[in-house]
Amino acid sequence: MSVADGIDPPLGEETAPARAPFRWSRVLPWGLTALIALFCVVPFLLVIAISFGRKIEGAAWVWDFTFENYQRFFVGTLWPDEVTFLYLQQLGYSFWYAVIASILAVITALPFTLALTRLSRRAQAAWLVFILSSLSLSEVFIVMGWDILLSNNSGLPALFKSTGLTDWLKAVGWFDTLREWGLANPRNVKFKTSEFATILTMSYLVWPYSVILLYPALSRLDPSLSEAARTMGAGNLTVLRTVTLPSVRLPLFGTTLLLFVFLLGTYVAITVFADPSKHTTAVAIYSNVRGANLNAPFGATQAVILLVSASVCLVLGHTLNRWSEAR
Amino acid sequence: MSGLVLKGITKRFGGTLAVEQADLTFEEGALTALLGPSGCGKTTLLRMIAGLEAPSTGSITLGKRNITDLPAHKRKFGMVFQSFALFPHLNVRENVAYSLTISGASKTAAAEKASTLLDLVQLSAMGDRRIGELSGGQRQRVAIARALAQEPDVFLLDEPMSALDAKLREEMQVELRLLQQRLGITTIVVTHDQREAMTMADSIVVMSNGRVEQVGSPQDIYHRPENAFVADFIGKANFFDGVAEAGGIRVGDQTLVSKSKFHAGYQVRVAIRPERAALDDAEGPNRLPATITFVRDLGPHREYHLDTAIGPMVVEYAIGEGARPMKTGDHVEVRLPPDALHVFPHPTAAMAAE
Repeated sequence: MSVADGIDPPLGEETAPARAPFRWSRVLPWGLTALIALFCVVPFLLVIAISFGRKIEGAAWVWDFTFENYQRFFVGTLWPDEVTFLYLQQLGYSFWYAVIASILAVITALPFTLALTRLSRRAQAAWLVFILSSLSLSEVFIVMGWDILLSNNSGLPALFKSTGLTDWLKAVGWFDTLREWGLANPRNVKFKTSEFATILTMSYLVWPYSVILLYPALSRLDPSLSEAARTMGAGNLTVLRTVTLPSVRLPLFGTTLLLFVFLLGTYVAITVFADPSKHTTAVAIYSNVRGANLNAPFGATQAVILLVSASVCLVLGHTLNRWSEAR
Repeated sequence: MSGLVLKGITKRFGGTLAVEQADLTFEEGALTALLGPSGCGKTTLLRMIAGLEAPSTGSITLGKRNITDLPAHKRKFGMVFQSFALFPHLNVRENVAYSLTISGASKTAAAEKASTLLDLVQLSAMGDRRIGELSGGQRQRVAIARALAQEPDVFLLDEPMSALDAKLREEMQVELRLLQQRLGITTIVVTHDQREAMTMADSIVVMSNGRVEQVGSPQDIYHRPENAFVADFIGKANFFDGVAEAGGIRVGDQTLVSKSKFHAGYQVRVAIRPERAALDDAEGPNRLPATITFVRDLGPHREYHLDTAIGPMVVEYAIGEGARPMKTGDHVEVRLPPDALHVFPHPTAAMAAE
């Protein structure tokens, strides 16, 4: 306390409360929050609200609060007389494609990224720039490329035929196996439409992401860990199994989960490469919102369920990870 | 198994020569220190012994077996890394048992061996701890126990004390030496700390710029350095540049009596340890007038910094030893006993000769 603190102001002089000057820095966070709410949260809330709306046959839709759309998604419109799982099946395909494609991408990106971290700084930078630039390619462009590559008339099947590879496959008996897998017709191999082509293209779409996501963790991996294992009698595979993979378990898991969530929304690759009977929820959503069905409330319901499913997967993944960490 | 022998080991990284023509024999059961400044090639040499780097030329034999091309995982050499390289996803016991687990030993056998080794390094109560919960000294002990688990033919340690504080380092040097003596394993330690090397080693290999400068016992290295680098790197020394003459060395306008083996006119460098120079009245050659410029008390000993006719020098006395106390500004005479003078070729002359 200073001496001046005890001195009363002279009579007749009143101390006016100091008015704080207006500062933009105080308003800015609130303004940004409002903007985020307006452009991100409001559309999201609208989708949830529309999912409870009702489609008017032969017309548009109206606001409502009905669970009919959710009922339709899980058990079909004819419930309780008849139960159909068409939409759950689509959701299942969404998960199937996304899980396999994300795992495939991570499995193939891991050895590449490991090798990348062992290159010179200059070479690493060149590769990273190349991979980052490949991210600028749109899904449509990539799918078009794969479409040409896998098309029956001008792509790999034509190459198989012209080089005699198809005849060789027939001669060794592997052609029948390919037919059983749906990768050949009686005359030649075929990749469209197939789960193989769908998953391959989806993996390709996210492969650069998996390299970019794995690179920081792998480049931080202390090389002396694997060297220590080698001096203790571990060969290359044992080092990979007992040291490298456990050391990057978290980034591997996180990358797979992220790619999986990203791939749940794949649209173009599915429409081009997947059999219509194996289309996913993302395709069905578009069909309802903008496509042939024009049933926005049901499309919104599918979108909400897809989002909730993805969130449940993330939470489950996180819980599983914490559980294994605790062990 | 008998000793480890390196013949003509050279290692090049592109155009850089990391190790040049190293010929070394590591006696069985002895502890050898590879000593030298940073970048002298000692770690590269250790990594070649471990099988983590392939030599560009030369051979490595263990007993009668040529192991030059044998991969690291087949050498059965235990190694402790500078960073300890403990596996963070395994606990202490699992780390120690790692080599046994991957070799297919039963869980019981691996656990028993791990417990024995943890007892040996006095960490038996910490088997279930995560690596992140250990102190630097404890981590080092775990790394040692882990490297010993496979009962290695040769035990390699790369700057094992560098991550420890000074006090712990001193304690661990003694502990490690006692452990090595008890187990009788051929051990090679890389260090840049001459005190550490002299504390632990039976034999020291002094390296500089990829070359082996001298090999010998700690006492040999200290008292009989073979060149100016060793005299400078091991302990402290006063250096004077001069020219060889009949019966002595001319330094400036003074002639120092010494047993020089160099022809007259050869450029030489003279070294004398601070504790071998004397500020006394004893009779003898090489008495030079000097002025005390600084006195430094370091607890167990005292340093006198002198200005002499042949250049500045330091004389060191143990406390309680020596003659009368002296202070800055005193005019004294310093005596350089001829048998304490080490005479080496001048580095520029030596380089020209090469």
